[in-house]
Formats: sequence, C-alpha cells, structure tokens
Amino acid sequence: MEKNMMALFQYEDDFIAAAKKLKESGFDRMCLMSPIPIPEVQKVTGLGKSPVRRFSLIGAIIGGLSGFALATASALVFILPTGGRAIIAVPPFLVIAYEMTILFGVLATLLGFHIVSGLPAWHDKPYRVETSIDHFSLVLEFGPDDNPSLAEEIMRAAGAEEITEVEKPE
Amino acid sequence: MAEYREPSYAEVNRDILRTLLETGPRYWILLGFTSTIAVVCFFVPWMYQLNVGVGASGMNRNAVWGTYLSSFIFWIGLSHSGTLLSAVLHITKSDWRKAIYRSAEAMTLFSLMTAGCFVMVHVGRVWFVHWSVPIPNEMGLWPNFRSPLMFDVMAITAYLTASSIFIYMGSVPDYAAVRDASTGLRRRLYTIFSFGWRGTEREWHTLGWAYTFFAVFVIPLAVSVHSIVSWDFAMSLVPGMHHTIFAPYFVCGAIFSGTAGIVTVMYVLRRFMKLERYIGEIHLDNLGKLLLVLSLIWTYINILELFTGWYSGSSFEYEALKFKLFGYYAPLYWEMILFCAFVPLLMFWKKIRLNWNIMLIISVLINIGMFTERFIIIATSLPRKFLPGSFGFYFPSMVEISITVGSFAIFTTLFLLFIKWTPCVSIYEVKETLQPLRRGAV
Repeated sequence: MEKNMMALFQYEDDFIAAAKKLKESGFDRMCLMSPIPIPEVQKVTGLGKSPVRRFSLIGAIIGGLSGFALATASALVFILPTGGRAIIAVPPFLVIAYEMTILFGVLATLLGFHIVSGLPAWHDKPYRVETSIDHFSLVLEFGPDDNPSLAEEIMRAAGAEEITEVEKPE
Repeated sequence: MAEYREPSYAEVNRDILRTLLETGPRYWILLGFTSTIAVVCFFVPWMYQLNVGVGASGMNRNAVWGTYLSSFIFWIGLSHSGTLLSAVLHITKSDWRKAIYRSAEAMTLFSLMTAGCFVMVHVGRVWFVHWSVPIPNEMGLWPNFRSPLMFDVMAITAYLTASSIFIYMGSVPDYAAVRDASTGLRRRLYTIFSFGWRGTEREWHTLGWAYTFFAVFVIPLAVSVHSIVSWDFAMSLVPGMHHTIFAPYFVCGAIFSGTAGIVTVMYVLRRFMKLERYIGEIHLDNLGKLLLVLSLIWTYINILELFTGWYSGSSFEYEALKFKLFGYYAPLYWEMILFCAFVPLLMFWKKIRLNWNIMLIISVLINIGMFTERFIIIATSLPRKFLPGSFGFYFPSMVEISITVGSFAIFTTLFLLFIKWTPCVSIYEVKETLQPLRRGAV
C-alpha cells in the first residue's frame, strides 16, 4: 500500500467505535483527531500516565537546588554583613528556592509538553479543518501486511462520512 | 423571553471567532482613545519625571513610597484572581470556569505587566533596574537575597512567566481553530502560534497533563506572590505595617480585588462582544458568592488588624491606628470600609447577584475600595514613624495621579489588543460543556 487512509466522522461514538474495531483487527498505527479531548479515545490508543510529569518533577528539583545555590553564590561573591546576621541565611534563601522550584517546574513542563507531543510540527501532515470545528478524523497508516480494504470496510460500517487516501509522510 | 438553545459546535466556533475576526469602527476608536490616554497620561509624565527626577512625585524624605507603590500593589492584586481562580477551578473540575477563564487569565497577565510599569516608574533611574536581577553588572553588584524586595523580583518574574505559559498553552487548540478559519498572513501567523496543532489524541493527552501541572504550580505561586508583596511592608518595623496578619490579608485582598475585576471584565465582554450565550447567570451567581465570602474574610482580617494594633499596647501602633481611623485620610479609610465590607453584603440576595448592572457597580466599587486600601497602608504609615518630630505627610502630585490614571489606559489597551489576538472565550472547553456529538444525542 503506497498511501495511508483518512476517514472523517460526524459523530463521536462512530469515531470511537471505528477506532476500537480497527484496534481489535490489528491496525495499530492510527492517529485520532478531534475538536475536544476525548478520554475514551485515549484509552483505545493505550495512552496512560504522561511522561510530562517526570519533566515537571525533575525541573522542580533542579529549580529548588539552583534557587538556593543562586542566593548562596550571590551572598558569597558580594558579602554584605548586616547586624551580625548570617551571610548564608537559610530562611530567606528558602523563599528564593521556592520561587525557582515553581519557575523551573513550569519551564520543564513546557519543555516536556513539546517533546512528548511532538509539537511544533509545521510540516504537512494529514489534516481536515473540520476537525477543529465539529468533525472527527482518523488517519490509518498501513504496514506491508495490513489489509486496507478491511480497514475501509470497518470504517464505513462504523459510519465514516468520507474516506480518502492520503500521502505517507516522507 | 426566548427559550435558551444550546449552541452547536460550529456555532461556538463561529460566535467566538467572530469576536476576533470581525472588527468594527467602535473597536478602533476605543483602541485609539485608550492608547492615546496611555501615552499622554502615563508615558509623557514619566518622561518628565525621568528628566527632572523623582522629586516630580509627591514622595519626600519621610514618605519614600507613594502612589506608585500603591498602584503596583493594586495591579499585582488585580492579577490574582485570574490565573489562581482558573487553576483552582481546573483542578476541582468546575465546568463553569470554562467560559470565563481565558479573559480572567488575560487580566492576570496584563495586570502584572501594568504593575511592572510601576516598578520602572518608582525606581527613578530606570536604566539601573538590571542591578536588581542576579546577572553580572558593571558595578560588580549582586542582589541581597535576604531582602523581601528581592523575593518580590523573583516571585513576580516567576508569576509572569508561569501565567504567560498557562494562558498560552491553554489557547493553543484555539489558535488552531483561528488558523483554520482564516487566510493569508493571519493564517500563517496562527499556524506558528498553534505549533501545527491538529488535535490528535497524543496532543490532547499531553496538553491535559501539562495543563494540570501548570495549574498545580501556579496555585502556590500566586499565594506566595502576594504574601511576598506584603512582606515588603510587614518585614519593616514601621508602625501600621509590621503585622504578621499582612500576608493572608494581602492574599485575601488580592483575590477579592481580582474577582471583582473578573466581574467587570465579564460584563464588558458579554455586553460589547455579544457573548451572552456563553457568559451567563451561573458565572455571575458563582462569582457573586465568591466575592461575598471574600468580603467577609477581608472584613474579619481588617477587624483583626485593628484589634492587634490596639491590643499590642505599643504607643506607636496605637498612634498609627488613631491616624488611620480619625486622621487626615480617615474619609478614605471609611470609604474603603463602606465599599469593601458593607456594599458586598448586598450579594447575600440572589436577585442582586443575578443583576449584571448592579454587579458591575459593586465590582467597580470594590476595586475603588481596594485601591484606597493600598494607598492608606502607605500614606498613613510610612510618613509617621516613631518620633513625632520627624513626622511628615504624603500627598500625590499631579504626575503621580496622571501616571496612575494612565496605567488603567495601558491595561485597557493591552486587553483590547488581546481580544483581537486570542479567542477571549475558550472554544474547545466551551464545547466540552455541551452535549457530546453522539449519534443518539444529536
């Protein structure tokens, strides 16, 4: 099969049913697009806990440590004795560490989002503008052993409005 | 009265994108007006002050802080409800948030930017402002991180960054909707803004997780920001400022003021952007209840502040208290009490909570009261420290008054630009609250 297949659905339940049936029939490589997040679809494709959370945790830990290190280093390179107070003053430096924990946590989450979701992705990919309004689309990528006619049959039976062939990504 | 009909998905796209893609002459006139006011009232007096020095303001030896700092706290406070409320309601899965959070978050962002302008104005020699950030400079100076002012720099930088990311990431699917509905340059720009979003299951899944983490990070951050702003005052020894209650007092006041700000913004959006179908009575009712609760907490903390001042037995505290309640600025104090403690009690009545016009008036009065609160904290305390011989007086100059007025124009200008850049109501989240597009349901 030289090309991939794209189906457009008007109804969410048809779309979910098609995805489930395709999965059961051994079509694993599919991409499901919808105007809103649908938890059921994420279950079908087996998406569990996102690795984004690891980015958040690691970012937050690095932030906390670097916040404290920043405050300590600043105090040591520019020593400012005031009223006999400690040069490395733990309570106020913890405030800086707290803020940096959050700042780095947020930045790392953002980085995690981009890495995990694969965005930005400005190159051409199969897409129908109706998907951002009120339709659902399913792109199926075929391997050498897959049977495209069976896939088409499943999608039509599930209620696909339109099925088209789309180019395989380069 | 016409019966309410739930909009379809396509109608949601059409109604919300219309606010962005169709621009009438009234919008341009308003934008021209607010940007002119911003230049004339904010930037021109600021240039004048940069030329002649901070003596152009009413600040003096005793009153080293004045209206610039009051305005700074006011704008930081106003920023508080947007992102914080949005994050809390996201985590608690409150669906009513979905139609209003985008504008509320924008309010946060632009309030923070406006507050940032006041820092620049207040410091006087703005070209040295980089000395307050931990980067190598020509003087070999490094910031003193034991000072609450430095906590402020770090907290506000983190808050501005986190709020910008929070609102931007929540808008990415909607930028894709704008891209799909537009042509030419706008389409190219929104292709970039949307990162090539297609709404795949992986993109939604990752955004859902990331967005929840942003929310989790933003909540403690927002609470810490205004606590830290309060420490700018509370960690000094100045009578009238040196109170442990200041952190919760400021945080509560900030959320109170910010929620009132959301009501004002919702009124304007609903009325002038014709979004009555999306911003409805449930939003007003819930925001009204929240305002009422916040008002009661705020009143309680105010009573506590008076009590602890009196109970301290310190003659300095007692004097500061007396000046606040009965001194030169007493009318402002009682105006604040009227607007922030008594007027909100009207919201005990559901009829009041559901009346857009009355709620607009109440929300504006609350913010007038909250601005006054910040002014009073500075004007009644700082110029009257300890020794009566060194007592001074603070009254804002025309330059300060003009810059304060101009700041409202800056905020409005930024908001007007925002509503033509980003859908002011979240398209995809409003769709989530509608009947799903299922064969049996449609």
